[in-house]
Amino acid sequence: MPGKQITDVVEQLCRRCTENQAVLVVRRDPLCRDCFVRYVHTKVIKHMESFRVRNADPNRQRKLLLALSLGASSVTLLHILDHLLETQTSKSGRTGFGLSVVFVETAGDASHQDRLSKVRQAYPDYDIASLPLHDVFRLVPDQESLSGLLPESATVEELSPADKLVTLFGSLTSATAREDVAATLRTRLVVEYAKSSGCEGVLWGDSTTKLAEKTLAETAKGCGFSLPWHVADGETPFGLAFNYPLRDLLKKELVAYVDVVGSPLPSLVLDSAPTQASMSSKNTTIDDLMKQYFESVEVNFPSIVSNVVRTTGKLKATLTTNDAPACDLCSMPVSDGRFGIHGWGGDQHGIADPILASSGRRLCYGCTRSIPSTTNPTNGSA
Amino acid sequence: MAPSLCAHCKTNRALILRPKDHSKLCRPCFLTTFETEIHHTITSTGLFTRGERIAIGASGGKDSTVLASVLKTLNERYDYGLDLILLSIDEGIKGYRDDSLETVKRNAEQYGMQLCILGYDELYGWTMDQVVEQVGKKGNCTYCGVFRRQALDRGAARLGLTHVVTGHNADDVAETVLMNLLRGDLPRLSRTTSIVTSTPSLAADPAANTHIKRSKPLKYAYEKEIVLYAHHKNLDYFSTECIYSPEAFRGSARALIKNLERVRPSAILDVVRSGEDMAKLVPDSDEGCGRVCTSSVPAAEEEQGGCGSAQGPSSGGDLATLEQALSSDDRAADAALEIEITTSSIAKRTAPLPLTVGKSRKVPKAPNNTRKQPKKQVMGQCKKCGYLSSQDICKACVLLEGLNKNRPKNHIEVGYEPEKEATSVAEAVKQLDVGAG
Ligand SMILES: [Zn+2]
Ligand SMILES: [Zn+2]
Ligand SMILES: [Zn+2]
Ligand SMILES: [Zn+2]
Repeated sequence: MPGKQITDVVEQLCRRCTENQAVLVVRRDPLCRDCFVRYVHTKVIKHMESFRVRNADPNRQRKLLLALSLGASSVTLLHILDHLLETQTSKSGRTGFGLSVVFVETAGDASHQDRLSKVRQAYPDYDIASLPLHDVFRLVPDQESLSGLLPESATVEELSPADKLVTLFGSLTSATAREDVAATLRTRLVVEYAKSSGCEGVLWGDSTTKLAEKTLAETAKGCGFSLPWHVADGETPFGLAFNYPLRDLLKKELVAYVDVVGSPLPSLVLDSAPTQASMSSKNTTIDDLMKQYFESVEVNFPSIVSNVVRTTGKLKATLTTNDAPACDLCSMPVSDGRFGIHGWGGDQHGIADPILASSGRRLCYGCTRSIPSTTNPTNGSA
Repeated sequence: MAPSLCAHCKTNRALILRPKDHSKLCRPCFLTTFETEIHHTITSTGLFTRGERIAIGASGGKDSTVLASVLKTLNERYDYGLDLILLSIDEGIKGYRDDSLETVKRNAEQYGMQLCILGYDELYGWTMDQVVEQVGKKGNCTYCGVFRRQALDRGAARLGLTHVVTGHNADDVAETVLMNLLRGDLPRLSRTTSIVTSTPSLAADPAANTHIKRSKPLKYAYEKEIVLYAHHKNLDYFSTECIYSPEAFRGSARALIKNLERVRPSAILDVVRSGEDMAKLVPDSDEGCGRVCTSSVPAAEEEQGGCGSAQGPSSGGDLATLEQALSSDDRAADAALEIEITTSSIAKRTAPLPLTVGKSRKVPKAPNNTRKQPKKQVMGQCKKCGYLSSQDICKACVLLEGLNKNRPKNHIEVGYEPEKEATSVAEAVKQLDVGAG
């Protein structure tokens, strides 16, 4: 907690300006409020270089979509981008890019709507959309492959998007499968919304810590092949660019930022339940495990957290994404059409036709672990 | 719980819940399934050739004992035509290997395999006890680690063999994948995921240590199933209470793997799969250089951490050490950034925060570059022993040079060609021992 950090640095001067009293220690340096805020902003703006005014075509405003989760990170990103756009306007009369915001609702939780309306009040200049997750069954153009993931018993044609989502989740057999599928669908929904609203890229609020979690989580889910597109800045197989402007900031630094900056930020952030150390493995998800792991690593070994992200950034996607067939669920290109969990060294059954073995659906290795194989093959196209 | 039938034969009562996929099997079906999977691994990767003589790196522990037993079974069942030999290394630490070497000796009889025990004294001219005597207890972990890395290869070369199989299992591989991600070591991640490390094609001299192929037939086998197999097959193995604590990295990666396995049993296999896929994405890896440079790196690099002499965790690769190295790099990069910020016009406290970093100049990149560029290792051979090394002289030979320089004068000077000299050195040492005792 920032409070604790403050007591730790009592009576110390800020190492950067050597004038003001330090309020917290950042990567071993005691910093004052202003220098800390500047530190955070600098780290973000470094990654927004290509969206500076002088790089912008005055006749064609580039539009970016910010994916808001109402966590400390994405709220901070919105706050800083708002500042950035304000500064750009005051200096040059125009901005380097236009910004839209989207929030994906989690079913059965109303508390976010209250926060969301506060966000809209605090940042009135932006179009802030709120979409239910089941809109993925409305917005994604290839509905056939997506509906093919529903269990066999489902009469897909008669189901509303909301019912489809409930049916899909009802068929998943573990907490981790539900969380993994929800996260994948959320990404796809954000992508489709970005496309439909004319955005050329998505800005994600993932901190260094979150990206490190994601690296190890995707590895653990068997999705190592798709890491270059989940963690790196740039074009993705979705046909638009992903950017992670908070990639150089630790989660704890962003939490401290919300606290240090104060109103209105703390009132906008949705309280996240503390990650429990001892949950039953039945309800634990792979994401939970990685979150716990890096929350503890972050305390004493922040550079190791950044190093994981930096290392993953060096992985190079080899295949040209246009050529490879895509996974029905996550939409990532699967090289050589190696769908499913069969047909590799670790598969001991030696099934010759991987597509047949995965009951007609085209799921990548990782997604096959989440979606049970006993479901409907009818919608799968060969 | 009502007794259920074996999912495989549907006849016997199921006794075993398979850790890998939670299927319920009877004892014979479990054993057969386990063996068949190893057979599948061997045949689908073309691991062995008929008539090949193969050394099984044997420690008497569960992994290598199961490996030896399964290979014997499969060699007979499927007529691989292999000549299997047990190869054990004795570090020369009084008492440390006694029990495990006894186990290996019994295994050799049980499986009707030839056994060869090679000591550090024969391989290097020094036992670990002698090294400790020379350098003290503090620094000897370095020696143990470096010597151990080459020992199997040197031993195999001594026996005139070109292929060593080790008992590394899926848990080990998964652990190494996570560990190398945490450590930021992509080249090593890429090479430890492949079933065969080190390729014989590189070496011109068949007698050189470089001509050793290393492979891990248990790469896809779960540790828990190895334990179950050993148990249900009544194998005679030595359960080592690990007397060293693994280095912090391996320890935390291991704990993570165990937790993942609890959440999703397939996770170990899934990490291995991710590791294999990521290996293809590592720049300048296999694809880049025609499979020569990655696969020719000494396989033994991946050897388990820690050292048999119970001197505590090795310093290299420790979390805190790495953190310190990385964070000073980060600070240098930040400092460069900071200069940039302070030189750009910054408004006073009341003004809006500066949101555009210095418009005129780019952020200096220099301090970052040193680390960003992946260190390209060029592998050659050690000029002294022929072992694959990124340096002119391999680590073992450098350490040996230091040891030998300081060896008391009445000892016999050790040459650098272990092939020729080591035996005489070993004899000399033995004579000295007799004299001293
Ligand atoms: Zn200051
Ligand atoms: Zn997928
Ligand atoms: Zn059976
Ligand atoms: Zn050498």
